[in-house]
Amino acid sequence: MSTVVRPDSLEGALAALAAGGRPRAGGLEPAGAAPVVDLTGIAGLHGTARSGDGGTRVGALTTVAALARLDGYPALSLTAGALATPQVRGTATVGGNLLQRSRCAYLGHPAFPAAHTPGRDCPSREGDHLHGVVFDTGGCASPHPSSLAVALLAHDAEVEAAGPDGTRTFPLAELYGTGDPLGDHLLSPDEVLTAVLLPAPVPGERAAHRRAAGRARAEWPLVEAVVRLLPGPGGTVGRAAVAAGSVARVPLRLPEVEEALAGAALDTGPGPRVAAALEAVAARTSPLPGTRYKAELLRATLLDTVERALRH
Amino acid sequence: MEAHVNGSPVPVPDSPATSAAAHLRDGLGLTGTKVACGTGVCGACTVLVDGSPAASCLLPADRLAGRSVTTVEGLGGEHPVQRAFAAHDGLQCGYCTPGFVVEASVFVDGWRAEHGDTPPGREEIADALAGHLCRCGAYEGIFSAVAAACAGEFDTLPDRDPPRVDAVDKVTGRARYSADQAPPGTWEGVVVRSVHPHARIRSVRAADADTPLVDLLPADRTVRYVGQPIAAVAAPTPGRARAAAEAVAVDYDLRPAVAEVATARAPGAPLVHATTDERAGAPSYGEAPSPPARWDGNVRGPGTVTWRGPTAVRRLRAAAASGNPLLVAQEYTTAAQLHSPLEPHVCVAHWHGGGLDLFASTQSVSGLADRVAERWELDRDRVRVVAEHVGGAFGAKNGISTDIRAAVDLSRLAGAPVRVSFTRAEELTDAGHRPGTRTRVALLADGDGDLAAMSVDSYGDGGVSVGSTTATMALLMYGRAPRRVRDYDVVTHRPPGMPMRAPGGPPMAWALEQAVDEMACRLGEDPLALRLRWDGNPKRRALYERAARTALWRGRPRGPRTGRFRRGVGAAASNWLYLFGPRARVELVVEGGELVVRTATQDLGTGIRTVLSGTVADRLGLPGGVRVEIGDSGAVFGTGSYGSRTTPSMGPAAADAADRMRAALRGRDPRVPERGPVDEHVLKEVLSTSEGLSVVGGRVRDRWGPPFPDTPDDLGVGRGMSGAVHLMEVEVDTLLGRVRPTRCWAGIAAGRIYSERTARNQCEGAVVQGVGYALFEERRHDPRTGAVLSDDLEDYRLPGMGDVPETEVYFHQEGFEHVPGGGVGLGEVSAVGVAAALGNAVFDATGWRPRDLPLRPDRVIEGIR
Repeated sequence: MSTVVRPDSLEGALAALAAGGRPRAGGLEPAGAAPVVDLTGIAGLHGTARSGDGGTRVGALTTVAALARLDGYPALSLTAGALATPQVRGTATVGGNLLQRSRCAYLGHPAFPAAHTPGRDCPSREGDHLHGVVFDTGGCASPHPSSLAVALLAHDAEVEAAGPDGTRTFPLAELYGTGDPLGDHLLSPDEVLTAVLLPAPVPGERAAHRRAAGRARAEWPLVEAVVRLLPGPGGTVGRAAVAAGSVARVPLRLPEVEEALAGAALDTGPGPRVAAALEAVAARTSPLPGTRYKAELLRATLLDTVERALRH
Repeated sequence: MEAHVNGSPVPVPDSPATSAAAHLRDGLGLTGTKVACGTGVCGACTVLVDGSPAASCLLPADRLAGRSVTTVEGLGGEHPVQRAFAAHDGLQCGYCTPGFVVEASVFVDGWRAEHGDTPPGREEIADALAGHLCRCGAYEGIFSAVAAACAGEFDTLPDRDPPRVDAVDKVTGRARYSADQAPPGTWEGVVVRSVHPHARIRSVRAADADTPLVDLLPADRTVRYVGQPIAAVAAPTPGRARAAAEAVAVDYDLRPAVAEVATARAPGAPLVHATTDERAGAPSYGEAPSPPARWDGNVRGPGTVTWRGPTAVRRLRAAAASGNPLLVAQEYTTAAQLHSPLEPHVCVAHWHGGGLDLFASTQSVSGLADRVAERWELDRDRVRVVAEHVGGAFGAKNGISTDIRAAVDLSRLAGAPVRVSFTRAEELTDAGHRPGTRTRVALLADGDGDLAAMSVDSYGDGGVSVGSTTATMALLMYGRAPRRVRDYDVVTHRPPGMPMRAPGGPPMAWALEQAVDEMACRLGEDPLALRLRWDGNPKRRALYERAARTALWRGRPRGPRTGRFRRGVGAAASNWLYLFGPRARVELVVEGGELVVRTATQDLGTGIRTVLSGTVADRLGLPGGVRVEIGDSGAVFGTGSYGSRTTPSMGPAAADAADRMRAALRGRDPRVPERGPVDEHVLKEVLSTSEGLSVVGGRVRDRWGPPFPDTPDDLGVGRGMSGAVHLMEVEVDTLLGRVRPTRCWAGIAAGRIYSERTARNQCEGAVVQGVGYALFEERRHDPRTGAVLSDDLEDYRLPGMGDVPETEVYFHQEGFEHVPGGGVGLGEVSAVGVAAALGNAVFDATGWRPRDLPLRPDRVIEGIR
């Protein structure tokens, strides 16, 4: 049976991970031989703090519930508050959410031991992939499950990670790249995600978030959208940030929709430019046989989200 | 390492693989905390950690160190929300209840601190309790309980006892379920299951010769689906048992498999059951044994029932040939629905001195003891089956299931008690399901708009099992117009079905009741008015008239709807058989100067304890209830809880026992009156001198009833049918494809209601399960191997608090005066037409007729595009 190592410093944690330990943020790890490295004793991973440039440093062990209450970042708060259940939000951490494992039903299923094996086609491609990607890039056909990643991408957040070679900071998009064929992120096993760095809040920001799903609550989205509208002159949109989740191996920014929204009038419905951009997004999807509906659902979800942000 | 649990210091283990829930339950004996899903979805394991609700099944036990934990036991039973749950009957089986009340206690306290004593709305309550699932569907009671607790209505103990006699045990976590029973020294058993859809098993070997291993293969040593039990092993701890199961070596000789109905029907497809013997041995998911039928490859049937069948077929063919617009011929499909009771299948078996004790989660305590005695060749009185509380069943817990077989045989090998408890993945894979169906229905109206002919052909998709009765159920609806119904089964290499709450009923109604709705459109007639003309059942006719007068029906929108959100109202009718158990017995005994009701029936959450207590008290004119002890096979024979039979069997037996007790007491003291209320003081006096006095009541015959058949399965078919009419209102989001049921009216005709609140709760729960069936629930599988993929409660979607309509239940209590007690069961009839009413409401709202269940967003946006 494995043991639990409880380092009280980042250095101690990195050493334990370098020795083959398995990091644990809050949840139960499956039984295994390697020691579990409990990260919760490291003070630097907790809490949120304003940084010198007015931005916010969110420690990796900050709970989802705390993000839902964070001031100044409405898109992030809305997304965090809609995720999972109250009990899970109270325990789950931002680091755990960003690095979570794929939800592919074939992964870990006893009848599919070869699922997620390098060089093997994912069995869901010929099988059941109703919840799969609609922007297919080959390899695994499951979308990335992190909702926070969608919102953080729309916030131009950065990620801070510590490893044997020190601490590095990089845009959140680089945590996922263009989608590893099998993996869930590009962090190396001897690194620890230590914090998420948010730029300074933008006064007057309008934000909306939507999960298209069957059940009203506690449901994984079929499509998820986050829209941020930053004010421009004379009641218009200055800059827009639009991101979508549950559609690709990685959360996606949608530049054509952002461009169409720039300069759009607030407090009105989305005009023909936005409609055309949404059509363009739908047109560049590359669905699997079972996910064609997601092209239309993505367009519809974005339309709903843009409309609510504009009329906020 | 130490934690504070309910105020006391306790040790916590330093092993990372032990969950907090497992430590609380198995380590500390705090079994009020339940584990149902094991993945943080259902909330049954919710505890407070430093005052915040947490899913203890996901929390490592060692993370409790230095923290303060409150479990349901720590709430003490005095929290206003516990009283409110009991008073508003916000529970049925009670398995989810501890988690609900722990979470709700924090919400109620926080709400009142912020808002004072004002009740929150349904949306706020649904938000707060979004992390909880109740499979029985007691959400109406939970909404009103939480609102009332927030409003300060339960700061003091209410004057009246809760409507459900075991409610207090359930809201405090004191109620003991079979999953909570593990005597010291109990070993854990784990089932080894097939990872291939079709194979002959050459050999099965445990890694270690000392590991007890029992073989669970059928006689032909062949597995026919992924997940089929092969063997089971046991070890002193759960961790070691899981490791031993993983180390079992199975040598598979692989055979070709068919996992889809379409491929199973193709010429030359591999046969699931190839020989006459195999076909005869195919498991059945019918309530009764399936009559013999012919096989054609993987297709069994048809089982045909007709009434002037040739006339029906001739008329329908002629109408089709001439393009008659009053011919409605349509095809409908349904998906596999899983019972998924929150208490899994679980059995703790213990051999001792030639006897066998079982704690089992079963719907049939007496029946199981009979079958166990027969199978293991024991005298019936050496077998004891105990199921004090049962955490839901819905048809899946009848008979000797895999957990029971494995636990009994492993206990004998291990020489110790052995517990076998299904994981949620096992529960969602191989614990039964309501099979998917494809049903073609044809209705023809004549020039007067009367029903001229009906045909229904249905194909059941029950994996390796057979027994579809979907079409047959349609035979009993809408008078005596000529008709032909045919049931087929298509077998595949997928897990077998089991009877589920009104087997065949919901898929029949999904097809037939939408076809009737379509006919009403063609005839330009109100759908309730059409049914009133076609339906000869007087009880249901009374319900149509009542339904037509509801505000929901009269205020429904008319004409085409426009805009993104469209509202509509639909109606559907339900029909069910009246069955009962002739062998029902109830003992009434004087113990400690009190009356005690004792019988071996079981309460799955239906409220039979309450029915028994109330019936005896009513019959003797006592002011309070009577103590009830059930769930132990040592008592007199109790009816099995399937076929809506428990109340109409046990209720009359309890009344008979009360009458016999009155006569016996009257013999001792003539002040006990021949009829009418027994004076409290007289009763007390006579009971104090009658210690040990015992009478046994039985199920007296119906007036004009048939003689009781002496069937081994204790099945009596009574005269008359129960009925129901549902009205459902929905709002359809045409942009995002979401259907939101907003209001429901459920009219139920099952005769006199024994216990109003528990009966209403069951009918409200039937609406919740019907909404799940209509909108979310769908077992999904891999199309090549048939492996079940929706094997957790994230991927198998049960409705939550925020997904269900505000529901009003109305009881029409006439029509069963020939039955002793005047009432029959309602568990099934209340479930039949819910999804169909929802389908008709979607059509009313959008003009799009849904054909395939469930109504997922992708289907809705595709359909109404």
